[in-house]
Amino acid sequence: MNKTDHMIEASVGSGTNRTVELTVERLYRTHYGKMVANILNRYPDLGLETAEDLVQDVFAVSLTEWARGGIPNNPPGWIYVVIRNRAINRLKADKKMWVVADAGQAGPGGAAAGSPMGEATSSMEEVTLQEQVVDDEQLRLLFACAHPDLSPKVQVVITLKYVNNLKVEAIARALGMTVDGIDKLLVRARKKIREEKIFLVEPNAAGLVHRLPIVHKIIYLIYNEGYKPALGEAVLHEELCGEALLLNKALLDNGLGDRATAALHALMLFNAARFGARFGPAGELLDLEDQNRELWSKPLIMMGCDFLRRAGGMDVGWPVASLRRPQEGMTGSGIVAGNVGSFKGGGVRGLGRGVPRDAAVTDDVTTYHYEAAIAWVHCTAKSWPMIEWRLISKLYERLLEWGPNPFVQLSYAIALFYAGERTTAFSILHRLLQTPVMNQYYLLNATLGKLYLLEGYPDQSREFFTRALGQTTLVSEQEFIRRKMESIGD
Amino acid sequence: MEKFLLLIREDAEQRGKLTQEEFDQCIQIMSGWVESLAQAGNFISCEPLQHRGRMVGKDNIVSDGPFIEAKEAISGYFLIHAENLEQAASIAQTCPFVLAGRMSMEVRPVIIFGNE
Repeated sequence: MNKTDHMIEASVGSGTNRTVELTVERLYRTHYGKMVANILNRYPDLGLETAEDLVQDVFAVSLTEWARGGIPNNPPGWIYVVIRNRAINRLKADKKMWVVADAGQAGPGGAAAGSPMGEATSSMEEVTLQEQVVDDEQLRLLFACAHPDLSPKVQVVITLKYVNNLKVEAIARALGMTVDGIDKLLVRARKKIREEKIFLVEPNAAGLVHRLPIVHKIIYLIYNEGYKPALGEAVLHEELCGEALLLNKALLDNGLGDRATAALHALMLFNAARFGARFGPAGELLDLEDQNRELWSKPLIMMGCDFLRRAGGMDVGWPVASLRRPQEGMTGSGIVAGNVGSFKGGGVRGLGRGVPRDAAVTDDVTTYHYEAAIAWVHCTAKSWPMIEWRLISKLYERLLEWGPNPFVQLSYAIALFYAGERTTAFSILHRLLQTPVMNQYYLLNATLGKLYLLEGYPDQSREFFTRALGQTTLVSEQEFIRRKMESIGD
Repeated sequence: MEKFLLLIREDAEQRGKLTQEEFDQCIQIMSGWVESLAQAGNFISCEPLQHRGRMVGKDNIVSDGPFIEAKEAISGYFLIHAENLEQAASIAQTCPFVLAGRMSMEVRPVIIFGNE
């Protein structure tokens, strides 16, 4: 935990001015990363650690200063000026005045380096509270965090820290890691940020648009972390999903997104629509067939449909092309029936019948398109028996064309089972069981337990449920298994 | 995306002391990590290796393992996709057992022939 966290918590505990606390919290959540990047850009010689320390110190100082003297008219401006003055003092102390002089002359204010207050006035005007939810500077930082040398996990952590401005402790809780683990990742990331000048030299977001696939991945991973069912506080998780949606929407609104961005947005909206319905009244995990579909958010599903239509790009010929040439579709004949002409029939349903893989239009068809399409089929099924499992299994087949993924294979096998191809489903599941990763995977064993029960083999079912029970430490998942085992009877 | 081999090295003696239950637990932790790799589109495959084996060499002499000092015996491998060697190394660093100091990983780019 960093210094600011301690101080903010300490002052909350002592019950000082609540308005001040909320203002500072909100400022931190909207400005932390930007302040660090800004001060680092102006005074590169400070170094990342010092810049972060300065920003954190000033946030802490603002708590006591504002509680005593009132909240200034322009809170971010105030913070920025104090940070800047302290940066100058720090550099003076380091006898690096020439750096300050350079920075002062080059700066947009053009004020003399010797008069920090002069500079301060101009920066007060510079920094105003942004109305946009995600502004240009945050988008720039988002693309900066999508550095191809960093692992996806590290990209996610630094995005949460510098773009979403979450504190280390919140990141640790959200990702199910220890503060120490996050710190370790951050130490390495900071080293990279320093060596590669990641926050300094990166151009604006538009100049880094080739990194869009990495940015998508970061957003998708943040969303997934939020969507996990059982790790800790639900509120925190909903917030992560919200952050991911905000970032993605900002890409679309700023003309930085492409069709994959729209597909990813549709996917996240479809899942968000079902967020709460996954749990019963006592907070217990529910099977899909037991979920109350009335609780699914219809507005979110409608919005998802809208983005999926955008992702499909009616004007590009995909997936309309496959509708126009039905004879070239794949074998999923049962899927095609009905609804031609409406979005349902013409849009994604065409996708289920086969997207041409050779044409140029397929270049920007991504895994997000298929995942969104699967979520769409689930969301628009009127009831559990109405789910078009064969269409879903076809979509999973397409998804698997991107590469071997045992977790997707598991979902594929489940879809096949409900589509009536039970033998194939079981043979895939047992093949997965032989791999080291999946053998000890809770969901595979729980799935086998459930499907054997449905097939009328209570002994096998119990065996797999027993294995699954020992493979998860999450109470909600353990309880889920126990309820299943009780239903088997003797 | 390029392809990389992650060669896992760990203390064979320590690993030999694990009970079946503890070993299963390690695999479960690994499964969690693999799930995150798969979600990010980096995972290709992985397998753990037994410690025993044979070394075959010049003049057809066959000798028993272990082949390297037991402290850094090869105990398994991963194949992953990554943007570049830097990222592959960065991914290897996020393995929970590497973070805990119980394993090290040798990261090697796979040579790909042809244009693709």
